[in-house]
Amino acid sequence: MSDSERRVARGGPYVGSPIIMATVRVVMPFVFTFGLFVMFHGADSSGGGFQGGVIVGTVVLMLGIAFGIETTRDWIGTRLPVALIGLGMLAFLFTGIGSVLLGAGFLEYAVYGDLGIPHASKYGIEFVELAIGLIVAGIVTGLFFAIAAGTKGGESA
Amino acid sequence: MTPREIAVVVLIAGGVFFAVVAAVGLIRLPDVYARAHSTSKSETLGAVLTLGAVAASYGIGFNTLKVVLLLLFMFLTNPTAAHAITRAAHELGIEPWTGEEGEDEP
Repeated sequence: MSDSERRVARGGPYVGSPIIMATVRVVMPFVFTFGLFVMFHGADSSGGGFQGGVIVGTVVLMLGIAFGIETTRDWIGTRLPVALIGLGMLAFLFTGIGSVLLGAGFLEYAVYGDLGIPHASKYGIEFVELAIGLIVAGIVTGLFFAIAAGTKGGESA
Repeated sequence: MTPREIAVVVLIAGGVFFAVVAAVGLIRLPDVYARAHSTSKSETLGAVLTLGAVAASYGIGFNTLKVVLLLLFMFLTNPTAAHAITRAAHELGIEPWTGEEGEDEP
């Protein structure tokens, strides 16, 4: 007990637990696949971009809890979450304004059928769900790192 | 009753029993380690038995495969979460309850 108290008192490095690391290694790819599954099922059943994005963002949270938050932040970098949010936002706007440019309303997917895309309405919804999932995953990851950095003060994202 | 209904009722009864044991342990036991000890094992078994009842009631099919996958990951992740919580408590320096100083504890 005195050992752990000393470790906390001097703020030493995080010591990983082999049990948590092994479980995260096994479970992580399944969680990622399940997030994509939920994301792509938003069009015709329960699920969608928001729920799937949160599940994909949870993968990063699990990595941070298992391998240490500082290590995960160094590995992911501070730019990747912001880049994901920007990419998703651009894809969403591209889909929405593209239909306006083709002469229909905002996010009116059926007009993409004129370009030769089969089932344009269905694939349009899927694409927008994927974009929303990117945004949500980036926001969850960025919020996690921002909250984890909050106790030390000053540092952002 | 058909054999499948009997199996479902037995599995649900076992699941409810272990869930009640986990809830009683969570309320009655004195500190975080004892409570994690109670809930991690009983709660996992209760959830797994209940999911087994769901799988048995579906019969053979795609839904059963999904439920069995859920059951498998419940078995993997639930004890690991309890381990992570108790490990964090130990790293924070929380002393286990030994019953020496608290005579009023049950």
